[in-house]
Amino acid sequence: MVFNAQTMLVIVAASVFGLFVGAIPGLTATMAVALLVPITFYMDATPAIAAIVATSAMAIFAGDIPGTYLNIPGTPASAAYVGESYRLAQKGRARETLGTNLVCSVIGGLFGTLVLVFVSPSLAEMALNFSSFEYFWLALLGLSSSIFIAIGSRVKAFLSLTVGLLLSTVGLDMMSGAPRFTFGVPDLMAGVNFIPVMIGMFALNEIMMFYGSRAEARSVPVMAKDSVFASAPGHIRTYWRNILRGSSLGTLIGALPGAGADIAAWIAYAAGKSRSKEKEKYGTGHIEGIVDASSANNSGISGAWVPALVFGIPGDTITAIVIGVLYMKGMNPGPTIFMNGGGQVYALFTVFFVANLIMLPIGYLAIRASKVFILTPRKLLMPVILSFCIVGAFAINNSVTDIWIMLIIGMVAFVLARNDFPMAPAILGLVLGGTLENSFMSSMLKSNGDLLAFFERPISAALGALVILIWVLPSLIKLFRRRRGTPQARPEK
Amino acid sequence: MRDFLLGLAFVIGGGVVIAVAQTYPTMPALQFGPSLFPSLIGGGMVIGGLVLTLTRVGALKSAFAGPRSQASKYDYRGLLISLLPCALIVFYILTSEWLGAAPCMALSMLVLMLLRGAKLWLSLLVSIVIAAAIYLLFSRYLLIPLPEGILLSQLLP
Repeated sequence: MVFNAQTMLVIVAASVFGLFVGAIPGLTATMAVALLVPITFYMDATPAIAAIVATSAMAIFAGDIPGTYLNIPGTPASAAYVGESYRLAQKGRARETLGTNLVCSVIGGLFGTLVLVFVSPSLAEMALNFSSFEYFWLALLGLSSSIFIAIGSRVKAFLSLTVGLLLSTVGLDMMSGAPRFTFGVPDLMAGVNFIPVMIGMFALNEIMMFYGSRAEARSVPVMAKDSVFASAPGHIRTYWRNILRGSSLGTLIGALPGAGADIAAWIAYAAGKSRSKEKEKYGTGHIEGIVDASSANNSGISGAWVPALVFGIPGDTITAIVIGVLYMKGMNPGPTIFMNGGGQVYALFTVFFVANLIMLPIGYLAIRASKVFILTPRKLLMPVILSFCIVGAFAINNSVTDIWIMLIIGMVAFVLARNDFPMAPAILGLVLGGTLENSFMSSMLKSNGDLLAFFERPISAALGALVILIWVLPSLIKLFRRRRGTPQARPEK
Repeated sequence: MRDFLLGLAFVIGGGVVIAVAQTYPTMPALQFGPSLFPSLIGGGMVIGGLVLTLTRVGALKSAFAGPRSQASKYDYRGLLISLLPCALIVFYILTSEWLGAAPCMALSMLVLMLLRGAKLWLSLLVSIVIAAAIYLLFSRYLLIPLPEGILLSQLLP
């Protein structure tokens, strides 16, 4: 069903399409999949699913390309480690970084597929046990991590987080339906979209920095010895634990309904940093910083298919579209899919393996071709990127309001970034703010306002304890070090 | 100095957020209304802003006491130029319905390229070709309704 000319051609074409969409800031993997749906009407089930899988996997990787060369993530899933990739590129290691990214993405994708094949029913069952209580703690865990992984001042990271959280409250309140911070603008009733904010914070901010600096010199140098795959085996040997951890976290988080590859990348990056022996190198261009997250975002894609296939519940926006396509092709998602779907389900699994493996040659060619980012003078490249930013922001809702949002956020980000405020917490605040508030409100309604209910369920209690531990651990370590340090300090006096 | 001012801005911003949040309706059946999260976020902004401001008071005192060389060295021209892309975005928003998305983009790119010293013929060529390519790609292939403008709507079929 898979290894025929038509399906293979579809996979290659879809990969190239995903590559193109993912590499343009503002165009997401979800948008790429949505654009594919009308074309899948004319395909059989297997090539239709193959097109979606290949497009989404490639788009997530392709988001790393502009992130590495220009510090502008192509898709939200690349935002977590864009700073790390860009600093590595500034050291003349752009191809090495992208090569490692590609290999980790492939490994992450294959790992997620193996989980999808072997443990999807049990994993889906566990994911379904997550209620609003667990989601609240999970969101708080992500937000807390964003402050502790931030480089520089924690106060500034916290303030940056409040900006993102504030943006997440814009729109109609979930419980009462009251409009908040909408200023009478109808387009704001649905809230602030993540994409224009990301374009403003990363792309417009970068463009403003460029024109403010007057420097034309290439910020990403070209090194003759910078090879795509030469260092990848060494990095995999060194950081195999990180890849395994990132892939596992990515699959698990991807399997949580409503989470997805973006959140998976952030949490994997935070987990990688907290467990690293070289924490001080994070933020300075450290390859370990991209290994965890780049394997997590691709494994998250496969993970999101677990609840979609087993229960018909979308793990992310891509699988929400996929469920519709599956129904259209007569593959009704749910526990019976393994009995009724039979051969087609196994063809789907095979498609996942092929789509992930084909990323290697196509991704390699894309990395070789992406030299255009270096060779094109920035005085020509930056205006082109500005045009893509405007059109990319507009394309989300076909609304000028999103261009205004991009502009305002870009200007605020420019002021904050010039004063060493990290941008990552603000992005994460916007991504997780809605989940945090909605899950808190739902939980309070369920428990009649009893806050102790957040510790009554076993998974919720464990996650809550973990969050509290993250908050108090730095103070405890400081106290412990002071106590240990005091007797040693005395003789010096 | 700038941290001190930014801290103050966050304190004022947080105060405004709290004040606005208090105007949101409360629901009798709920203990927590739509004002809860904005108020908490506003409170966080006030506290964080205060911490940032207070930790920079010492630096502010020494800045006022010492020579004002740093302030005079500040690159105001660079700051103004960095605002040009924003001005061009506003230009696009305000005129694209009338001029059309492609001419607006071409004009914006041309201005930015010339500003950084690119050759006129190259800037013209690149901005026109790229603007046309983006327009065709997004409006014809990705079906995004970019404004055609009066000029293009008469020229295109």
